[in-house]
Amino acid sequence: MTSSAASFPAASSKEREAKLLEIGTGLVKAGGADEIEVVFIEGRSYLTRFSRNHIHQNVGTEEIAAIIRVVVAKRLGVATASSLAPEALSGARDEAVAIARASDPVDDWPGLPPPRPVAPIDAYDAATAEASAEVRAQMAGAIILAARSKRGEAAGAVEVEEGTLAIAGSTGVAVAGSHTRAEVHTVVTCGDGSGYAEGLSSRVGDVDARAIGRRAARKAAESRNPQPLPPDRYDVILEPSATGEWLEFLSYIAFSGKNFDEGRSPLSGRLGQRVTGEAVTVWDAPRDPRTIAHAFDYEGMPADRLTLIQRGVAKAVATNYYRARRMGKRRSTGHGLPASTSYECLPLHLFMKGGDSSLERMIRETKRGLLITRFHYTNILDPLKTVLTGMTRDGTFLVENGQIVGPVRNLRYTENVLEAFGRIDGLSRRLTLVKGPCVVPALRIREVQFTGATEF
Amino acid sequence: MKAFLDKACDLMRQAGATYGDIRIREDRKENLNVKDGRPEHIATERFAGFGVRAIVDGAWGFFGTHRLEESQIEPVVRQAVAIARASASLPHSPITLAPVEPAVGTYITPHGVDPFAVPLEEKLALLAAATKAMRGPNLKLAQAFASAYRTHQFFASTEGARIEQTILQTGGGIAATAIAGDDLQVRSYPNSFRGNFATGGWEYVRAMHLVEEAPRVAEEAEALLAAPPCPEGRRTLILDGGQLALQVHESCGHPIELDRVLGMELSYAGDSFLTLDKIDSFTYGSREVNIVADATAPGGLGTFGWDDEGVPAQRTPIVEAGRFVGYLSSRETAPAIGRTSSGAMRASGWHRIPLIRMTNVNLLPGAAGSLENLIADTDDGLYLATNKSWSIDNKRLNFQFAAEMCREVKGGKLGRLYKNATYTGITPEFWGACDAVCGPEAWALWGTPNCGKGEPSQTARVGHGVAPARFRNVHVGVRA
Repeated sequence: MTSSAASFPAASSKEREAKLLEIGTGLVKAGGADEIEVVFIEGRSYLTRFSRNHIHQNVGTEEIAAIIRVVVAKRLGVATASSLAPEALSGARDEAVAIARASDPVDDWPGLPPPRPVAPIDAYDAATAEASAEVRAQMAGAIILAARSKRGEAAGAVEVEEGTLAIAGSTGVAVAGSHTRAEVHTVVTCGDGSGYAEGLSSRVGDVDARAIGRRAARKAAESRNPQPLPPDRYDVILEPSATGEWLEFLSYIAFSGKNFDEGRSPLSGRLGQRVTGEAVTVWDAPRDPRTIAHAFDYEGMPADRLTLIQRGVAKAVATNYYRARRMGKRRSTGHGLPASTSYECLPLHLFMKGGDSSLERMIRETKRGLLITRFHYTNILDPLKTVLTGMTRDGTFLVENGQIVGPVRNLRYTENVLEAFGRIDGLSRRLTLVKGPCVVPALRIREVQFTGATEF
Repeated sequence: MKAFLDKACDLMRQAGATYGDIRIREDRKENLNVKDGRPEHIATERFAGFGVRAIVDGAWGFFGTHRLEESQIEPVVRQAVAIARASASLPHSPITLAPVEPAVGTYITPHGVDPFAVPLEEKLALLAAATKAMRGPNLKLAQAFASAYRTHQFFASTEGARIEQTILQTGGGIAATAIAGDDLQVRSYPNSFRGNFATGGWEYVRAMHLVEEAPRVAEEAEALLAAPPCPEGRRTLILDGGQLALQVHESCGHPIELDRVLGMELSYAGDSFLTLDKIDSFTYGSREVNIVADATAPGGLGTFGWDDEGVPAQRTPIVEAGRFVGYLSSRETAPAIGRTSSGAMRASGWHRIPLIRMTNVNLLPGAAGSLENLIADTDDGLYLATNKSWSIDNKRLNFQFAAEMCREVKGGKLGRLYKNATYTGITPEFWGACDAVCGPEAWALWGTPNCGKGEPSQTARVGHGVAPARFRNVHVGVRA
């Protein structure tokens, strides 16, 4: 007996894409509004969670969201159903129409986006979709074994998912695609030491649970007996997970076309201007195979590479069709979010350009600083000034004269991220896919501001 | 529905489950966003399905599907059982559940006006009027929000529980965003991040008087642009209800979750400084600090009839006169402290397993009278209102909060306005420095509708009853 997607339900990803498109175009053809768009987000996900060296939670679900956006006389309505049953879909359409009729017209509504060609990508791995509960348990077991080898305890998760996105619209949009994703992360604790490691890929076969477990276990063993360090400005070396967290928050506050248009982005009115250091080049590339790739956005538009910051200069923000037209562009950048959210548009597949260094070299070249594995509970203090606060976690080490001299207790930073990125003086050549997803280098940044310390 | 539930329980028993439960659930949600006098985003959602949770060979498995069809019961049970057997394939201690009397009954949230029955035009007109009443030369965004959630759930367990519940939650609020240069200031009412929330009906939003409050909110956002930044230093703080509710949430609500204490959330949000050895002995705060977890509080956002394991709603002492005495727990975790479940297990939908979630974690009223009384009793300090930002470490010790608005308190009176006020501390030191809590006349329930936890992630709607309180010698601001 297995618990894989392949056995439940029995259909291939291509069959599911075709079926969803058939249902979606049927609903669009049935009419009922001036414009209709149907977005199906369908999939199965399985997550095996472990703590204290045993599996304590183990779940699987199959879900569907049918997000229906209608336009009646430039008035918009959105309703979502969680079923493919005809009465559920027509009920959601009718509810969306009722919302539209109760709403006010959007005077600058440009219409739903016309179709654009979408080249297919290979983002689906059958082995990932078919990874059974036994496979996930074996991966968890490999991590636990690594933790035990250091007399530690492992907590973490092994997750696999397959999903299909299908979009049909009254302008003729009709696209569908499927993807898979596998993610493993763990925190290993050895007494008062803890270490973190993660792995993420479209293919479960590319995620080496044993290596992830060993990395976290080694870090946990090395971070025993952390010493207090006073809050101050320290040079830091950020491992990719930490880089990714800052980049993701920066994206949330800076790269949304909606925030930009409303004057709430630190890039508002500053395109073409230098906003951070020359070492910083950031782009979004949903089709790039190095990330969890998607061929199109939630409006069915091709998701092309979009340069957001080039050598420290703000170049663009991400848009959906409505926001793009408001901003005087003919096309969206292909970053529309589901119409069920009010956020409209965001880049979801970020990349940061690397340099010519390595994590090891940056440590060797540091006179005094901190090696930071990852951040915890980052939050925004000032969006226009890109001030964030958060904690270090699961492996924070003092570096002196090019050597890791020992673990330190976790510290709180309060820092302007665009300013901090202006003080980057080292980037690893190697880019790593981390949660977000973001594909990022390790960084060395001078004089990051730490404003507090905790007791562990 | 009874046949559906019975069949699932029978199949779980036949498959070797020593315990199993099923939840059939439909969630209905409505979100209204109005901006600058016009509807900006209006969306509804219906989310229905069922999930089966089983213990087989001493370990858990769960599977859920949106296919709410009788033909799906058998394959879903089969999936849950297969997943449980895989859990059991690694060395483990068999799960023991604390006993509970299998409940049979129904619960419906007491409410006045069903928010889903109020014409959409009426709701939008109220929100539009509120945004139109917010004006100012630098006001860039005037927003109003309303949300309604209805959860209708059938729960059955192999032990014989059969429960039907309908939970109705409603909320709303307004926000004014003023921008000048690179300075962005937001004022919100009655709380930030979409307003305040409660169990109940549309009468809750009507009673907020959003239109009447809107001009003040806009004026305060404008005034913040002109205000100086809050100076750094050690100060006496008075926190208003909205800010204090989130302080309770982050520094008390999460660390008392027994699953965190036992390491079950370690790899995601973290664990807790309130380790098992601390119960009944640890000094969490001053003698002014009394906290309960109360799922029975009328109107609380975390109020219900039974939790998602069929454990009845209850009021659990957490902190008594500063001493830590209790946890939020589940049937699985309660045996670790030799107690029965405190009834705190809730899932965000049919597609998720229940986790230990806050109910209404309430700071009980003290003897300091009204907020005005407390300010009058304070010679030198700061009054902070409405949360703007929050962050806390993974054991819930070091925190840093920011408030939308700060007023100086001098000689018992409110003084000058400051912006960008933050404060930071270590949880038991901070609560140990609490020397006054306002009385019942200032006590109110606040809803936190966006509490994240678990993998896969879940969002819970939880409550916090608080009255404004005073804290001495708190580190305010950031030493640059």
